[in-house]
Amino acid sequence: MVPISYYILLSAAIFSIGLFGVLTRRNALMFLISIELMLNAANLNFVAFSTLHGNLTGQVFSLFILALAAAEVAVGIGIILVLQRNFSGIDVTKAVTLRW
Amino acid sequence: MGPFDLIAAIPLLPLTAFLVILFAGHFTPSALPKCGAIPGILALSGSFIISLSLLPLVYSGNFFNNSIYLWATWSISDLHFGFLIDPLSALMLVVVSLIALLVFIHSLGYMNDQNEQGLFRYYAGLSLFSFSMLSFVISDNLLMSFIFFELVGFCSWVLIGFWFREDAPPKAATKAFLVTRFGDYFFLIGVVAVLVIFGTANFAGPNSFPVLAKSAILSGQTLNGLDPQTWVTIIGLLILGGVIGKSAQFPLHTWLPDAMEGPTPVSALIHAATMVAAGVYLVARIYGFYALSPTTLAIIALVGGFTALLAATMATVKHELKQVLAYSTISQYGYIMLALGAGGYVAGIFHLTTHAIFKALLFLGAGAVIIAMHHDGDMWNMGGLREKLPVTYWCFIFGSLALAGIFPFAGFWSKDEVLLETLNYGLGGSPILLIGYAFGLIAVFVTGFYTFRMIHLTFHGSPRSQAAREPHSLRWNIKLPLVVLGSLSLLAGAINMVPLGEILGIDLSYLHHWLDTAPSNLTAHHYHELTESFSGYHSAYFSSIISAILSLAVAVSGMAFAWKLYQSPNPTESGTVYSTRFNTIYRILMHNYYQDDYQLMIASLTRNKLATFANIFDQKYLDGLVNELSSKSLSLSNSIRRIQTGAVTNYALLLSIGLVLILFIFALLGGWL
Amino acid sequence: MLIELVILSAFFSGLFILFSSDENSHKFSFYLSLIPLLGTLIMWINFDGSGNALLNGGKIAFETYVPWLSLGSYSLSWHVGVDGISMPLILLTSILTPLAILSAWTPINERKSQFYGLVLIIEAALFGVFVAFDFFVWFVFWEAVLIPMYFLIAIWGGTRRKYAAIKFFIYTNVASLVMFIGFMALIFGLGDSISSFNLIDISTALHSGQLDGLGFLDASTLKYVAFIALFIGFGVKVPIVPLHTWLPDAHVEAPTPASVILAGVLLKMGTYALLRFNFTLLADVAQKWASIIAIIAAVSVIYGAFLALAQTDLKRIVAYSSISSMGYVLLGLVAYTVYGLGGATFQMISHGLLSGLLFMSVGLIYNATHTRSIEDLSGLADKMPLTSVIFIAGAFGYMGLPLMSGFAAELFIFIGAFGANFPFAKLITAISMFGIVIVAGYLLLTIQRVFFGTFEVKGNPDLALPQIHDLMPLVVILLMIIALGIAPNIFFEMIQDAVEPMVSLLGGISDV
Repeated sequence: MVPISYYILLSAAIFSIGLFGVLTRRNALMFLISIELMLNAANLNFVAFSTLHGNLTGQVFSLFILALAAAEVAVGIGIILVLQRNFSGIDVTKAVTLRW
Repeated sequence: MGPFDLIAAIPLLPLTAFLVILFAGHFTPSALPKCGAIPGILALSGSFIISLSLLPLVYSGNFFNNSIYLWATWSISDLHFGFLIDPLSALMLVVVSLIALLVFIHSLGYMNDQNEQGLFRYYAGLSLFSFSMLSFVISDNLLMSFIFFELVGFCSWVLIGFWFREDAPPKAATKAFLVTRFGDYFFLIGVVAVLVIFGTANFAGPNSFPVLAKSAILSGQTLNGLDPQTWVTIIGLLILGGVIGKSAQFPLHTWLPDAMEGPTPVSALIHAATMVAAGVYLVARIYGFYALSPTTLAIIALVGGFTALLAATMATVKHELKQVLAYSTISQYGYIMLALGAGGYVAGIFHLTTHAIFKALLFLGAGAVIIAMHHDGDMWNMGGLREKLPVTYWCFIFGSLALAGIFPFAGFWSKDEVLLETLNYGLGGSPILLIGYAFGLIAVFVTGFYTFRMIHLTFHGSPRSQAAREPHSLRWNIKLPLVVLGSLSLLAGAINMVPLGEILGIDLSYLHHWLDTAPSNLTAHHYHELTESFSGYHSAYFSSIISAILSLAVAVSGMAFAWKLYQSPNPTESGTVYSTRFNTIYRILMHNYYQDDYQLMIASLTRNKLATFANIFDQKYLDGLVNELSSKSLSLSNSIRRIQTGAVTNYALLLSIGLVLILFIFALLGGWL
Repeated sequence: MLIELVILSAFFSGLFILFSSDENSHKFSFYLSLIPLLGTLIMWINFDGSGNALLNGGKIAFETYVPWLSLGSYSLSWHVGVDGISMPLILLTSILTPLAILSAWTPINERKSQFYGLVLIIEAALFGVFVAFDFFVWFVFWEAVLIPMYFLIAIWGGTRRKYAAIKFFIYTNVASLVMFIGFMALIFGLGDSISSFNLIDISTALHSGQLDGLGFLDASTLKYVAFIALFIGFGVKVPIVPLHTWLPDAHVEAPTPASVILAGVLLKMGTYALLRFNFTLLADVAQKWASIIAIIAAVSVIYGAFLALAQTDLKRIVAYSSISSMGYVLLGLVAYTVYGLGGATFQMISHGLLSGLLFMSVGLIYNATHTRSIEDLSGLADKMPLTSVIFIAGAFGYMGLPLMSGFAAELFIFIGAFGANFPFAKLITAISMFGIVIVAGYLLLTIQRVFFGTFEVKGNPDLALPQIHDLMPLVVILLMIIALGIAPNIFFEMIQDAVEPMVSLLGGISDV
C-alpha cells in the first residue's frame, strides 16, 4: 500500500501547479484548466483519505465535485464566450471594468 | 370690604389698562379715547385713590403681609407672589401712583397734542410700567421684587426706544437694558443665594431672610460652609449690583443720560422718579439685612457719596437741559445711597420721596420747555423764557430750589438730613463715613452751581434762537401737573423738619414716626439698633441746626457762583467759565470722565475681538477638525480602494496570500513551527 | 393603548400623506396632526403616574408591556409608558408638530406631500423615543428620527443642504454607535442579573450593585467607560461643546419647519436620554464627576453665547444660542437637586417653545425679505409690525424676561445648581449665569439692527401682511410661553414628582 503522504504530496503539487496557473496565465481557457487542476487535487485528497479511513463519504464527495466541475466548465466556457464578445479577446487582465 | 381687599387692584388696574390699550389700539384704534391716555389715567386714578386710602389704615397699625399666588412649589418655602403693605411701601405706592398719574396727564400735552404716531404703544408701555413698578413696590419677597425689577427694565427699554425709526433711541434703549442687566446679573445671583442659603426670600415676618440672617449671626452657626457674616456681606454686595445698575450709580450710571433719548414724560416717570428709585427702594426694603454688614454699608455710602459728587460735576457742562437733569438724578440718588449706607434710613426714604417729587417736576418742566422750544432741548438756544412761560418758570424755580437744597423747599430738609446723619455716624465712630460726607458736601456746592446755570441759561438773559423768541403755547394738561408738583416741592419737606424741630424744641420728625409704625422687624428704630449692634454705628448727635446752616451756606455759594458767571444776557461758556487753563477739565467733564468710552470699548472688544475669536476658533479648529476628519477618511479610502483593480488574477493573488497568511498564523498559534 | 394609538396615528397619517397627492396635503397633514395632539391632551388630563419611571417602583401612566421575542438569554418587549418627565415632552412634541406644519404652508412649495409625510413620521418616532422603556424599542425610535430629518434637510434645505444633511446624519449616527457600544458593554457587564433590555430591570440591577466586570475592565471602570460613551453619544445630540458643530449648519440649511422640530424637540432627545441614562442609571458616576460636567455645562453656556454674539445670520444666532441654552439643561441635571433636575426638564420644554418661536419668526422675516443676514435688514418694525413684535417678545423670553417660561426654567436651574453639593457648585453656577448678560447683548443688538432705525432691505421684499396661518403658530406659542412663565406649576409639579426619586437615590432629599 502506498503511504498517504505520497498522495498528499501529489495532491499538493497538482494544487500548486493549478494555483500557479491561475496567478500567471492571462488566457481565460488556461485559467479554467488551472482551476480544474485545483479541483482535481482536492478530489485526490478526498479519495486518498477515504481509502485511508475506510469511509466512503470522501468518495461520494469526489463524485459531487466531478459533477460540479462539469457544470463549472459549462458556466466557465459561457463566461469566456461573453468575454470574447465584449472585450474582443479572452485575456482576463483586460476585463477590468469592475475596478474601483 | 376694606382697602386691604383692594390691594391687588393697585397693580391690576394699570395691567388691565395695558391690555385694553394694547388690544384696542391694535384692532380698533379709533375707539380708543386719546390713543389710550384715558384708560391709563382712569386706572392710575384708581390706584392712587386706593393707595391713599391705605395710609390711615397703615398709620393705625394695620399691615398686610400675605402670599397671594403660589408661583412654584418648593420643599421649604414656596416661591410665591405676595403683598407687603407697611409704612415704607404705602408711602412709595402713593408717590409712584401720584407721579404716574401726573405723567399720564402731562403726556396728553406732550405726546397727543404733538400728533405722535403709534401712541397706543406709548400708553401701553406706560401702563405696563406702572403695573410693574407698583407690583415691585408691594412685593413681599426678594424673588417677586427681582421679577418686577426686570419687568420695569423691559418697559424702560420699550419706552426709551419709542421713536424707533430714528437711530439714537434704540441704541440708548439697548445700552440702558444691557447696563442694568449687567447689574441684575449680580442681583439674580443674590436672589438665588438668598433662596438657597436662607430657604426663604420673604422681607417681613419671623421667617424672613433678614431675621434668619440676624439669628444665624447671633448663634454663630456656619451656613453652607461659610460664616453667616460673610454670607450676608457677599449676598448684600451681589444684590447691590442690581441696585447700582438700576439706580444708576457709579460705575453703572452710564445708561441714564443716554436714556434721555426717550420722550420727556418717560424720563420724568421712569428715569427720575420711579424706576431709578427701585434700586434704593430695594436697599431700604431689605435694610434689616444690610444693617448686619458694616462692609456693605460702608461700600453703599462710599459709592453713593462718590456718585453724588462725580455726577454733579458732569452736570455742570452739559448743553442739553435733559442731560443736566439726568446727571442731577444720578447725583441725587447718590445722596440717597449715602444716607442708607450711613445708617440714615429715615433720611434716605425722606430724600427718596422729596426727590421723586421735585425731579419729576423738573423733568415735566423740561418737557414743557422743550415743547415750547419746538422740540429743541439745547439750553444754549434758549434764554429769556421767563416772560413767555411764567407758570413753567415758577414751577421750575420751585423744583430747582428744592434740588439745590434751599430753605424752605422740600429738598432742603431731606438733603440736610442726609448730610446730618452721615456726619453724625461719621463722627460717632465710623470715620469712613466722613469721606462720604465730604463728597456730599462738595456736591452740594456743585448742585447749587449747575442748578442755577440751568435756570439762567434756560429762562434768563435774552432769547438766543427763533424758537426761544416765539415759544409754542402750553395747554392746561402740561401746566396742571407742574402746579401740583410745584406746590408739593414746597410743602413735602414738612413731613420731617428736624432742624426746625430742634429750634422750636418740638418733635417734627413725622416721617420717622410714620416709619416706626411698621411691623416689629421693619421699623426705623429696629434698623437703628441693628446698625448700632452689628455695624458699630453710633450717633454723635451733632447739632442739626449747624449742619443745616452749613449745607445751606454751601448751596447758596454754589448758586451765587453760577449767578456771577452766567448773569450776562448772552453768556458764553468758553469765555467766562472755562478759559484755556481749564480746557482740559472741561473736555474731561464733557466726555463724562471717559466712562462711556471705556464701557463701549469693553463692549466692542467683547463683540469684535472675543466673540469673533471664538467664532474663528469654532469654524477653523472645532468644525475644521470635524471636516478634516471627514476629508482625511475620504482620501484614505480613496487610496485603499486602489487595490480593487478589477483584474481577476489580482484578486486570486490576494486570496492566496490571505490563505497563506491564515495558515501561517494557525501554524504559529498551533505550535507547528 | 392610548400611547400606541398616538404613535400609530402619527405614523399612518405620515404614510398616508407621503403617498397622497401634493394638492391639499398641507391641510390634510395639519388636520391629521391634530389627532395625536388630541391623544396627548387626553393623556395629560388623565395622567396618573407618580414618581420616576425607572426608580423604585414609580408608577408609569398608560403603561403597556407586551413580550415580543426571546433572543438567547435576552428577551425583547414592547414596553411603553409615561411619567412626569416624559409627559411634558410628549405634549411639547404634539403641540409643536401641527404648528411647524402650519409654518410650512408658505415656504414649502415643492414635493409638499412628502414633506408633510416625513414631518409626521418624525413626530411618531419622537413619541416613541419619549415613551419607550425597553432599550431595544427605544433605540429603534432613536435612530428612526434621523432618517426623515436627513431628507427634510437634504431635499428642502438651503444652498449647502447636502453638506449639512450628511454632516448631521454621520455626526449623530457615529454618536449613536458610541452610545450603543457603551450601553451594550453595560448590558454584558450585568450578565445574568438581567434577562431583558427593559430599562426598569436594568436600573434595578445597576442600583443594587449587580454590575460585574467585562473583559479586562472591572465593574467600576466599566461604569466609567459606559458613562463616557453614553455622555458622548447623547452629548452630540444636545449638543454639548465641543460636539456641537453639526448644529449651526443643520439649522441654517434646514427649512424653517424642520428647524423648529430640530431645535424644539430633537435636541431634547439628547437631554432626555442624558437624564434617563447617564443621570438616572449611572447616577453615582454623574455625581462623582459633577464638577467636571458642570464645567462643561458652563463652557457650553458661555462659549455658545459668545459664538452667537459673533454671528450675522439670524438663524445662526438662534442656533448658537440653543447651544447656550442647552448648557443650562446640563447644569441643572448635574446639580442633583429637585430644582436642578426639575428646572432642566422645564428648560427643555421652555427652550423648545422659545426656539420654535424664534425660528418661526425668522422664517417669517425670510419669507418676506428673502434674506437672513442682519446686515441686509434694517427698520423692519416700521413695515412688519406684527412679526417684529412677536420676534421681540420671543427674544425677551429667550433672555429670561420674568413671567415668561425661560425665566422660570433658568431660575429653577440656578437655584438647583447653586444649592448643589458638588465642589465649586456655587462658583460654577455664578459663572454660567453670566450667559444671561451675553444673551441679552446679542439679541438686543440684533433687534436694534434688524427692527429699528430707518426701513431698508436689499432686493424687493414682499411686505404683504403675513397670512393668518403664518401668525397663528407664533401667537399660540407665545401665549404658551407666557402661561408657563406665570404658572410654571402647570408642568413643574408633575416634573418635580418625577425627579424627587432621583435626588433621594443619592442620599436623601436635598433642601433645594
